[in-house]
Amino acid sequence: MTKYILNRLFHSALVMLTISFIVFFIMFKAGDPVELMLPPDATQQDVIDMRAALGLDKSFIVQYQKFLINVSKGNLGNSFIYGQPALDIVFERMPATMELAVIAMIISILVGIPLGIISSIKPNSIMSRVIMFFSLAGISVPVFWTGMILVLIFSVILGVLPSSGRGEVYLFTSAFTWDGIKHLIMPVATLSIFQLALILRLTRTGMMEVLMQDYIKLATAKGVPRKVIVYYHALKNTLIPLITIIGIQFGQLVAFTIVTETIFAWPGTGKLIIDSIQNLDRPIVVAYLLVISFIFVAINFAVDVLYTLVDPRVRV
Amino acid sequence: MKKIIIGLATVALLCSAGNAKTLKVGLASGALSMDPYAHNETATNSILSNIFDTLIAFDKDIKTHPGLAVSWTNPEPTVWIMKLREGVKFHNGSKFNADDVIFSFNRVKTWNKSGFKGKVSAIDSVEKIDEYTVKFVTKKPYPVFLRKLTYISILDKESLEGKNDQWIGLNPIGTGPYKLTSWSKGDHIKMDVNKKYWRGVGKFDKVIFRPLTNNATRVAAILSNEVDIINRVPVVDVNRVKKSDKLNFFVQPGLRLIYLQMDQDRDNSPFIKTHDGKNPLKDVRVRKAIYYGINEDAIVKYVMKGFAEPAAQLSPPAVFGNDPSIKRPAFNPEKAKALLAEAGYPDGFEIQLDSPNNRYINDAQIAQAVASSLAKIGIKVKVNATPKSTFFKETGKLKTSFFLIGWASSDGDASSILDGCVHTYNAETGYGRYNRGRYSNTKVDALIEKSAGIMDPAERLKVLQEAQKLAIVEDQNFIPLHYQVDIYASSKNIKFETRTDSRIWVYDIK
Repeated sequence: MTKYILNRLFHSALVMLTISFIVFFIMFKAGDPVELMLPPDATQQDVIDMRAALGLDKSFIVQYQKFLINVSKGNLGNSFIYGQPALDIVFERMPATMELAVIAMIISILVGIPLGIISSIKPNSIMSRVIMFFSLAGISVPVFWTGMILVLIFSVILGVLPSSGRGEVYLFTSAFTWDGIKHLIMPVATLSIFQLALILRLTRTGMMEVLMQDYIKLATAKGVPRKVIVYYHALKNTLIPLITIIGIQFGQLVAFTIVTETIFAWPGTGKLIIDSIQNLDRPIVVAYLLVISFIFVAINFAVDVLYTLVDPRVRV
Repeated sequence: MKKIIIGLATVALLCSAGNAKTLKVGLASGALSMDPYAHNETATNSILSNIFDTLIAFDKDIKTHPGLAVSWTNPEPTVWIMKLREGVKFHNGSKFNADDVIFSFNRVKTWNKSGFKGKVSAIDSVEKIDEYTVKFVTKKPYPVFLRKLTYISILDKESLEGKNDQWIGLNPIGTGPYKLTSWSKGDHIKMDVNKKYWRGVGKFDKVIFRPLTNNATRVAAILSNEVDIINRVPVVDVNRVKKSDKLNFFVQPGLRLIYLQMDQDRDNSPFIKTHDGKNPLKDVRVRKAIYYGINEDAIVKYVMKGFAEPAAQLSPPAVFGNDPSIKRPAFNPEKAKALLAEAGYPDGFEIQLDSPNNRYINDAQIAQAVASSLAKIGIKVKVNATPKSTFFKETGKLKTSFFLIGWASSDGDASSILDGCVHTYNAETGYGRYNRGRYSNTKVDALIEKSAGIMDPAERLKVLQEAQKLAIVEDQNFIPLHYQVDIYASSKNIKFETRTDSRIWVYDIK
């Protein structure tokens, strides 16, 4: 087990290094932001001076080397646009995005799995069909549209929910205050609908497949209560592929917050990264992608370890 | 009984509302830094103008007025003596005096990340005469000196000396009507009123600026009364806003000209294909043909939904240098075709039009409309719309033959566009940095340089107008399209007047 963990850690570090190189290279090729940052009345000399001040006049290798040295000291550079340390800015905005992603994931799991189970037990019942219809809608409808419609109905027409912004924050999250919760409802709903539908359908398919297995027939024949079969034996075996998907989907959730954050003016990292890419703010793009890769790598690692606990057939 | 309860509740609500009047502003973009010298762009300048004062101030029609400087004299053409306002305090209680002015100007000029160097490049030195008097010396007689000063926020020497850039970027200490209480990038900028402001206390106790960059979100915010003002109402939502009986709607002619630049320098332009292999844009008849061949009224009507002013020259009416005698000729495709034939291109030619797609209002759509207009006179235009980061980089390297661009004469004076776009490009002096078609006319250059030293406004105006006429009417160096218009919406509960410089100055809002 220890050898496995060390192995994985080494590979993870390699992945992060490769990512940093690729991102740095791409942003380097995209051009420098000095042209965009300086006003039209700046002279060519000002452009040269600013470029030198930001260290952008050196070659790619020199810049990348400097970057790596700084990273080893924990410094990911200062944002070209904001002038503040890039890592600080990313961390400042991270709680907002994580809050959306985590709550959306929790809701999709808590609602999606039970609904998936219900629709798998009696697949042709009316209840099942209704659930499947809505899940199809959930997967097909674009996030952007859902968000706008929710804003239109609940904020503009009914006026019961705030149309944008984050609300009061307490202990890094807005979920602890009523004002915060009012601001959370629509963005979370928008973000979770797709995930919910996906988890629902996966659970249903997984359960239906498992319920047809021989060992289920054996358990039924032995007289094990239906509830125990479904909610204990079958569900446990369905969870294995589900955990993998949830791990990967969490990454997608964080990515989709870009759209949700734009609509709801949610001050998270999704919006930050889009703006930074457009403004050619390389330190923030690199810092953000490294943080996200780190989270992914960590989640995948946790998922793999979780496997060994859930599935006795898997041995490391 | 019910009526009494409702009545009491309303009174209670009104009382509490009256106790802390908060203004909520929804903006199309937020501030990039709290350091007023870091970014010279409208959104940041607009927000910070509430926290900082300048020596000279613009009113809403961009006329200059005393700010932190109460009076000034111009004893010699290059010398300005300014008397500073006494009794003014910064937000932290520090006294405002000449040392702060010297400190500010030195920082603007020498800080390596200063975005305002261009505004002070003509100033040679600034000295302290006494605690409330400073002397500026300009390199040459500088008629636009006062206008440039409206951009230099005054910082507090005592608070900022020895602090690093990062600290300054987060802690704005000004003399302005509002002081910063909290800044969450991309979420809100909260300010409290400065009770000791020298012009008098502002009407609102608190201001909250909220960047709402998504157009639909911004409109939803004002329709649901979550904000009191929004700027840059998207043209497609104008009708929705107008229909609301709780909102006022404002249209303000702006300072930004949207125009086309053409490669007039190279004999072989990279993105033009003609039957004779030459560059047709070097012929003034071809340029005139393009001008006559673009149906600008259709662009204003269909692309801008009526919210743009067709332009015939470089400076809009509010800018000093505007020539009321220049009128835009009517759309005339027959004349355009005739001019093309006369120039040797009866069957037109192929050309690529470059345009940004996320910089100006409906920029890519305008380019498309130009292309379809020119197709009808035989010029086949391919539109290449790219994000601003790519667009400015490529056009900067002159990898373009024909492009759409904008220019805001934010000083209120024609010299900015003449110096930056019309004058022949000169890397050392900085002239023509945005003259990417490399238009060059030495007569125009001479007029521009002459106007830079004329102190008498009436005489200077004549020279500026002459330079403009020669460049745009005779040479047709650019194709002016229209001036952008700022559209605002505000709640009927407040009294809001729009400004020509697109800023939102809360002090004037009641």
